[in-house]
Amino acid sequence: MRRRSALIAALATALCAMPVALAGSGADPGVSPTTILIGGTSPLTGPAASYATVARGAQAYFDSINAKGGVAKRTIEYRIVDDAYNPAQTVQAIRRLVEQDNVFAVFNTLGTEANLAIRDYLNQVKVPQLFVASGATTWGRDAAQYPWTIGFQPSYAAEGFVYGQYIAKTQKKAKVGVLFQNDDYGKDLLASLKSGLARSGSKVVAAEPYQVTSPDVGSQIGKLKASGANVLAIFATPTFAIQAFVFANRLGWRPLVINNAVSATSNTMSLASEGGKNKSIEGTISTTPLKDPLDPRWKNDPGMKQYRAILAKYAKGANPNDANHLYGMAVAHETVALLKRLGASPTRVGLMAKARSITGAGNPFLLPGISVKTGKGDNFPLQQGQLQRWTKGRWVPFGGLWVSKRN
Amino acid sequence: MIVAAFSDFMQQVVSGLASGGIYALLALALVIIHRSTGVINFAQGEMATLSAYIAWTLTVNHGLSYWPAFVACLAISFGGGVGIHRVVIRPVERGSVLRIVIVTIGLLVAINGFVIWQWGGEPQQLRSPFGTDTYDVGGVIVAAHDIGTIAVALGIVLLLWLLFRFTKVGLALRAAAVNPDEARLVGVRVTWMLALGWGLAATLGAVAGMLTAPTVGLDPQMMQAVLIYAFAAAILGGIDSPIGAVVGGLLLGVLLNMLSYLSQYDAFGWFTEELRLPAALLIILVVLLVKPTGIFGKPEVKRV
Amino acid sequence: MTPRTTRIVGFVAFAAFVVFVAVLPTFIGDFKAREYSYVGIYLIALLGLNILTGYTGQISLGHGAFMAIGGYTTAILMAGNEQFGGPIPSGMKDVWTLPIAGLVAGLVGLAFGIPALRLSGLYLALATFAIAVAMPSTAKRFEEFTGGGSGIQLFGTPELTGSISNVEIFGLSFSPNDWMYYLAWSIALVAFAVAWLILRGRTGRAFRAVRDSETAAVSSGVSLARYKTLAFGISAAYAGVAGGLFAIASAFVNPDAFPVALSIYLLVGIVVGGLGGLSGLVFGAIFIAFLPLWAQGQDLGSLLPDRIIQETQKPGGPAMVYGIVLILLMFVIPNGVGGLFRRIGQLISSRRYSRAK
Repeated sequence: MRRRSALIAALATALCAMPVALAGSGADPGVSPTTILIGGTSPLTGPAASYATVARGAQAYFDSINAKGGVAKRTIEYRIVDDAYNPAQTVQAIRRLVEQDNVFAVFNTLGTEANLAIRDYLNQVKVPQLFVASGATTWGRDAAQYPWTIGFQPSYAAEGFVYGQYIAKTQKKAKVGVLFQNDDYGKDLLASLKSGLARSGSKVVAAEPYQVTSPDVGSQIGKLKASGANVLAIFATPTFAIQAFVFANRLGWRPLVINNAVSATSNTMSLASEGGKNKSIEGTISTTPLKDPLDPRWKNDPGMKQYRAILAKYAKGANPNDANHLYGMAVAHETVALLKRLGASPTRVGLMAKARSITGAGNPFLLPGISVKTGKGDNFPLQQGQLQRWTKGRWVPFGGLWVSKRN
Repeated sequence: MIVAAFSDFMQQVVSGLASGGIYALLALALVIIHRSTGVINFAQGEMATLSAYIAWTLTVNHGLSYWPAFVACLAISFGGGVGIHRVVIRPVERGSVLRIVIVTIGLLVAINGFVIWQWGGEPQQLRSPFGTDTYDVGGVIVAAHDIGTIAVALGIVLLLWLLFRFTKVGLALRAAAVNPDEARLVGVRVTWMLALGWGLAATLGAVAGMLTAPTVGLDPQMMQAVLIYAFAAAILGGIDSPIGAVVGGLLLGVLLNMLSYLSQYDAFGWFTEELRLPAALLIILVVLLVKPTGIFGKPEVKRV
Repeated sequence: MTPRTTRIVGFVAFAAFVVFVAVLPTFIGDFKAREYSYVGIYLIALLGLNILTGYTGQISLGHGAFMAIGGYTTAILMAGNEQFGGPIPSGMKDVWTLPIAGLVAGLVGLAFGIPALRLSGLYLALATFAIAVAMPSTAKRFEEFTGGGSGIQLFGTPELTGSISNVEIFGLSFSPNDWMYYLAWSIALVAFAVAWLILRGRTGRAFRAVRDSETAAVSSGVSLARYKTLAFGISAAYAGVAGGLFAIASAFVNPDAFPVALSIYLLVGIVVGGLGGLSGLVFGAIFIAFLPLWAQGQDLGSLLPDRIIQETQKPGGPAMVYGIVLILLMFVIPNGVGGLFRRIGQLISSRRYSRAK
């Protein structure tokens, strides 16, 4: 009796199946006379959902371009698929985007592991893996082996090196304690901080990892203080960075703090300042390539006005102080610039060629003087940043732009 | 040198107690719901997160000052707990254990999604009712918030003890969970007692959420990590014992910090940060196998 | 119906299903075949979990961990772990790793089954949940064995059959996606038949006796310890094979690929499919494979209004939909799809019976 249901199962399975869309002929997949389709995964759910706003910012920017007629009379359709920050799901979603939805390019997929999981596949099928949203060094370094993959933001290695050099130059015999996330991101920053410190009198005296599954980092901060460190480097995501400031303050610890760019938005910093009561936060050093949404300097800046206007119109309810939106827009802006340079008949080969020869026409969402550049032997689009110091509740830039010489 | 090492060690104990206080509060909510309805509520952590967000939105967006918001949040959470029981739990209450497990997991997923959908994923700050003061006790720093958290946990234990020991409602709650049919015969309104159990647990969860957020930061995932440790704490202390939940929580917090502290010595070098969570879970397994009733639990009599 | 006719109907239905599975890729297109291969993979895991939970009454919220053990076994045997400083060389062809993946997971399952004897109901659920939660951190801890958080890449390795080019076998040529489909489903159908054989015989009767009343089972001479651990072992072995296939299909493993959510999905899958039945599990597997996509409005574009689709694509939206659907399902089909069919079947046959009278 029970077996009969197998037949019904079979019928239902057949009903669920849907016909596959046929690719257009002539042009590369994803390009029709009126649209150009790109896609990527983003963690809409799960542990990394706070980064989903990157994709939302990019989406809003594309919508604003489409409202003005798109690029070369084509509107840009950006398809976002949730991968819950699980690389196995990323693989499925990306194959779906490539093989079923026929995207022109995979755009700004988020997460180091997620991108590692799909890189070999995308390079085999020759689909651009454009502007990867991860700071691992491999995206730029291994361009020869993976010609279809290109990163975007400054690598964690470049960032860590800059902090190391800053400490080496300004501190004598500093003892550095490091709080780092126990994965590739945290370890990259730690290793490059050490190489930036090399041959100076300063050194890392303690490095405490934390797991993303830990509720708090109180124990780690206690151990770092006990190590006798007088510099605290925080290589942690916003929630844990805020905790690090809170716990350091509770312990009455006032080291020089270095806070990584991931957690250095004014939004995060002002939360960590506990309404001005936190005494460990003053004088914190960080770096960023982006304008800061909360910084009064940009109140009348055209780029930031545009940012707020686009977000208000095309991402209703989005919080403009969340700088992930801004990052998303900066990437989307570069993508639109690439598509414009591609002209009337875009091809995947052409896209990658253009992505490897960006001349840096300026990006309204990046700090003045910072531009996106690639060229022969240079496969890192963003390599500059601005050192800044947290002073009386806001970031104050100092020391000019740095350019990473090593990645 | 030795003095410094000792104060470092004590600092780790204090920090373990602080984490333990957080585990204890959520563990209390888990204990209450198990004791008064027989359910293990996988959504307890997310309910606490939702409550904390409600408190935050009341203070930030609706301009309430802290204590009115605190009380309002407790009331809303109590109502929410009762509502969840009436709408979501009651229809599956009489079925298999599995259905209840899945419904509470469905709640977990849905509430987490709702929080992100409504308030976004980026962290927020909820202030502590105990302020940011710290005290220096012989070189060991103790935060007012952590003392407050543990004091609140102990206060709740006392209140619960009074409730279950001296009030008719407490007795009825217990009866409804242990033997609903007989309870009904002696005039206990079983359905309402179970709803009351959910309301109480949600209220305790709200306290847990509001006291956890100032330490770990208000973010949609904040209770997911805590929930696992709270399970371990509740099992360790005895899943039906409020005082067990608190002792279990504090013990767990200190124990894990001790392992982490000792890992600087070769004999404990194998203990790395990755093993913190597995160690807590090992405690669940060992306790369940060796003494399933936990430290404070009373043995259950199995009848044929 | 007599048992004999029931069995004949069963054979015919199964044969028809085999034919259906065999010809399906012709109708659904190349890429869909890849997505349906995941249905086959989940089906294997669900068959195993149902032997444990549906037939023996032991709840496991940790089967994702057994899938992880299988997945890592397959990945390590294929790519080796010498590149991380481990002892195992690369070089085993993907298909041959699957029996080993099943064996390793099965042995771990047996070992876990012994302490699990002392637990029941919610406590067992908690204990197995602990295993699922601990799994990713543990895999990260033993980096030299598992490659840590960065995981193991399988795509493009010579050990992976059909990374990109067609697979020639038995004089037939399969596209990589079709190959994955037929690999997953041939194993799934064998697994189905084996599960059926186990469950219809002595062992199956003993399992059900344990589930219905432990006391009664013991008094009629069934060894609780033996059958409960055996169920754990078989069930974990199924999950191990599914995990191995999962690693092959994803061509990548890392700790995040086997999150707690996977264990939860599996349990949801057998409840949706129907506890204590086998054929309904196909629906459970379809549910697991596609609901995460449907929850974000994929493939449903024409069925739902744009306004709703937009909301589900906001951060948090898919999770909200998923959770609510789970809860509603528990209300609407408490005994799963399998239970629904059984009821319909009973209605029909009882009507027939009364008419014959």
